[in-house]
Amino acid sequence: MTKYIVVAAVEILVYAFFIFFLSVESAWILVATLVLIAGLVLARRFMPNRTQIVVDAFKSSRAFVLGLGAVLLLLFPIVASVVLRQGTYWMLVLIQTMIYLMVALGLNFQLGSTGMMNLATAAFYGVGAYAAGMLSLRLGLPAILTLPAAGVIAAAFGLILSVPIYKTKGHYLALVTLAFGYMIVLALDNTAFTGGAQGLMNIPEIRIFGYSFIRPLAGMHFYANYFYLATILLAATVAVFYRLQNSWVGLSLTTIRDDEIAAKCSGVNTAVWKLGAFATGNFFMGVAGALYAHMIGFISPPNFQFIESLVIVSIVILGGMDNLLGITLGAVILVLLPEKMRVITEYRVLIYGVLIVAMLIFRPRGLLPFKPREYHRSLLNRLRGGSK
Amino acid sequence: MSGKKTLFYSTDLEIHFGGLYALQKINIDILENEILGLIGPNGSGKTTFFNVITGIYKPTAGDITYKGESLLGKEPYQISRMGISRTYQSSRLCLELSLLDNVLIGMHNRQKQGYFSAIFSRRKMIAEVADFQDRVVELLDVFNPDLKERMFRPVGELPQIDRRRVEVCRAMAAEPTIILLDEPSAGMTPDETRELMEDIRKVRASMSDVSIMIIEHDMSVISSVSERVIAINFGEEIARGTYEEVAGTPAVREAYLGKEVVHE
Ligand SMILES: Nc1ncnc2c1ncn2[C@@H]1O[C@H](COP(=O)(O)OP(=O)(O)OP(=O)(O)O)[C@@H](O)[C@H]1O
Ligand SMILES: [Mg+2]
Repeated sequence: MTKYIVVAAVEILVYAFFIFFLSVESAWILVATLVLIAGLVLARRFMPNRTQIVVDAFKSSRAFVLGLGAVLLLLFPIVASVVLRQGTYWMLVLIQTMIYLMVALGLNFQLGSTGMMNLATAAFYGVGAYAAGMLSLRLGLPAILTLPAAGVIAAAFGLILSVPIYKTKGHYLALVTLAFGYMIVLALDNTAFTGGAQGLMNIPEIRIFGYSFIRPLAGMHFYANYFYLATILLAATVAVFYRLQNSWVGLSLTTIRDDEIAAKCSGVNTAVWKLGAFATGNFFMGVAGALYAHMIGFISPPNFQFIESLVIVSIVILGGMDNLLGITLGAVILVLLPEKMRVITEYRVLIYGVLIVAMLIFRPRGLLPFKPREYHRSLLNRLRGGSK
Repeated sequence: MSGKKTLFYSTDLEIHFGGLYALQKINIDILENEILGLIGPNGSGKTTFFNVITGIYKPTAGDITYKGESLLGKEPYQISRMGISRTYQSSRLCLELSLLDNVLIGMHNRQKQGYFSAIFSRRKMIAEVADFQDRVVELLDVFNPDLKERMFRPVGELPQIDRRRVEVCRAMAAEPTIILLDEPSAGMTPDETRELMEDIRKVRASMSDVSIMIIEHDMSVISSVSERVIAINFGEEIARGTYEEVAGTPAVREAYLGKEVVHE
């Protein structure tokens, strides 16, 4: 029982601090937050026994942790509308963070789980955005179809790179994807069919069963509709990747990542698995792009340039390869925090560069590194019990 | 030779890297259920032979026949599915994965659940994982029960000797027809080597009809485990027969002179 109280107390405190953090105008709040986090890290390091209670509480009540987290997240549009002066703006920032997180999770499946570097994530995300835009503008398809179609089209675009994906290793694939990303943006820029440099305008908003997403939701800004949709899509993405990771799929992919020859000689058809992983990752990037296109209503080639891919890669490297929670943390730090300090945005690229280099030197495996797979808690306990 | 059937044979197998002939006119056969030792000084082509069998290198000439079928043009994963598994001279484990996972990947060919059930039918997937984990535990019970306590540890945290054991386990978990062991005892003390060989023997006894081809520099291992020995040098066969016969061949003594002491 106490564990639920501990979890609830911690989550609500963090949530309250987060809202407070967003409401404070001064950039000093960033410094205060850093000090607070440093304090928590030190507390964990020097008082391992006392802090263990909290850690155990979180570990032993996973469903409750996630459930309460979901409730708090779902309450955000309401809280933001009521408490925050710039509630709408922060709602948009949070949606943006979730969209980036979806793309980063897609990349993580390719890079973190399988070891395939993809420097064209923004371009594939753009393919999804354009696909959704064109399908709804030209063919009048409803969003319920454009979202999955955008995913499939982004996956298909990834498969154009089939040969380099299963033939090349490491850095070569990085270069090939880098070039491919440039080509896509260049093509979008110069093709009249996709609106050229002007891009696509007036992309229809999402409508689901006649419900239009530009209608204010219970007095809140219409972004609240998109906030909830983004939350659902993100939850689905996390669920899919969590399940894939904790299954034979994850095992085959990490074996390919760590030693491709060993994987092959164990019977893994590496070409097929790598293509599958690449397509799967791209699918979610495409869906994220479609969501963005419908929400903003206007897309143009500069939205999908290499620099955005760099942000996505930074999220994965900072957060931790093949660690879903770590990547979530990475997205919050790299997408949400900079909005707090507008000064940062001008030096964004520089700061990301420095950050990646620093991470690679001091913590090459990310904030939350990869942990050996458990598949399922029940299995762990069964074997532990059995082996005694 | 006794009445055992030939399981595998190579005919005039040849591979060269540029001007270097790593294998020339190699005709090696493996019988059902036998242990064949492959010896030769450094750089004589032993590992290359394994790499050709498993499809990592494509031979320049010659053929390989296994269970009546040619292995030429087959991908490594297809060859693995046909029942040939191996270990490597320098370890090829996934250091970040648990010991359990490293052995589980060896059972890849028997997995029935895949992408679809991973996402949409988690219960089926987890049931199969549970089933396979039990089989790994059974395998470890026979092979080396001490490893069970380290099942959940990343392999990278284990001492070198355990890693070599895990690699052998991974190859055995595939329940292959032929296992290729490339210097399984490299870096081990004589005692550790003896223990490993004992472990391998135990598992072998529990499996039916598995042939082993073993590369070893430690002649005491070769002499104690292999029923037949083939020696190669500069990519060519120089002797074959029982260990004593091979060790007594002048060409073999010459090849090893100043490199390895041949036990008599
Ligand atoms: N991929 C390759 N490219 C070029 N040369 C190679 C390649 N693989 C092996 N060789 C060469 O082929 C020869 C045989 O090498 P191999 O590794 O098969 O020897 P080995 O008998 O296993 O030796 P050791 O006892 O040292 O392991 C060596 O001269 C080696 O340099
Ligand atoms: Mg060798």
